Amino acid sequence: MKLNERSVAHYATCNSPPDKTGFLFKKGERNTAYHRRWCILKGNMLFYFEERESREPIGVIVLEGCTVELCESESEEFAFAIKFECAKARVYKMAAENQAAMESWVKALSRASFDYMRLVVKELERQLEEVQEEARSSQAKSKTKKNQTGLRISSASVQSASITGPCQEGLSNRENGVSWSKPSSVANGLSEGCAWDRDCNVRADGVKPPPIPPRRKTNGGSLESPVSPGTGCFSKLHDWYGKEVAELRVEWLQSQ
Amino acid sequence: MRFNEKELVFLSRQPTQRAAELGMRGPKKGDVVKKRFVKLIVNFLFYFRTDEDEPIGALLLEQCRVEREDLQVFSIVFLDEAERKYLFECDSQEQCAEWIDAIIKASYEFMRKNLVYYRTEIHRLTGKDPLEQYGISDETRFQVNSALPPLPPPPPPT
Repeated sequence: MKLNERSVAHYATCNSPPDKTGFLFKKGERNTAYHRRWCILKGNMLFYFEERESREPIGVIVLEGCTVELCESESEEFAFAIKFECAKARVYKMAAENQAAMESWVKALSRASFDYMRLVVKELERQLEEVQEEARSSQAKSKTKKNQTGLRISSASVQSASITGPCQEGLSNRENGVSWSKPSSVANGLSEGCAWDRDCNVRADGVKPPPIPPRRKTNGGSLESPVSPGTGCFSKLHDWYGKEVAELRVEWLQSQ
Repeated sequence: MRFNEKELVFLSRQPTQRAAELGMRGPKKGDVVKKRFVKLIVNFLFYFRTDEDEPIGALLLEQCRVEREDLQVFSIVFLDEAERKYLFECDSQEQCAEWIDAIIKASYEFMRKNLVYYRTEIHRLTGKDPLEQYGISDETRFQVNSALPPLPPPPPPT
């Protein structure tokens, strides 16, 4: 069966962050000795390289549908096995360098499936809808009250600050403190319809959103929207990127 | 590069909601459109000769771009080889739009970004990390700040 191998190998080494990396001993198929391999777990793929510096992986194990078990090995301590359902599937025997590494790898590999990620995403999507729904209904109740609490995020100064602006408050998760949050999704309530899969309205305070932050080069193709499926809401996308950029900046600033 | 072909073939046999007969053209010069049974399963696109059990091939859908080429035609291009296009001809505009949407979303990295967004948003609105109740807040794959190198400082304002 053909596979777009070059691109798969590229996925291994491109600069999207891996989920786990480290040395593992991998039992060979024909040569049944354990060979030390540099391993990169990304998504549902476990790549293995001859050396840490190798540019191309020797191979990849697609982990979808696998189970990971601890196992006894005559020669290796800290051994575990990657097993598959299909008939006559190869059992991939691996060994870590110590107990902690073994446990960490077993945990990471057993949850590496696309299905698992999808499950968690769906759950969070549902939770967010619930939270937004609650906010909508409580906003509706309190609509008659004058909003004195300043939920409305101060506009121009924050927005025009853009990426270069101070971000110290940006990481606070209180609604008021998040620099990038659009007032319409908080102050005016989600009743205004900047809801999940609907287009955002014009901002309540009429301030223009700041210019688009530079795209992170790691983010695949231009059509891969980072936001909810179906969100054609550019300002939401923009805010999301903006937040991400702001957080990365704070990290950088703090590391100085 | 070695890969676990048997397991991948097994995966290609799993049920899926997104499968259809499409016209498919490979990326090489001289490749022509051929009728293929195309199946989307997790982040793989499998393609079969009609009525055959075993797929001819599989495309891992990470680091790729999907674009509409025509009313009923879309393409997949992999970022490391952007000149090579895989073309798919659909029966209708609607089918074409559905496939494009499905393929964009069939990427682990796409889901990861969504998750990060939802997690951050829920935390922002409620003050709580939604993953905590499941005991999975620390899993690397769910981290909000990925391990990328920090951005260079912004240019001074003009």
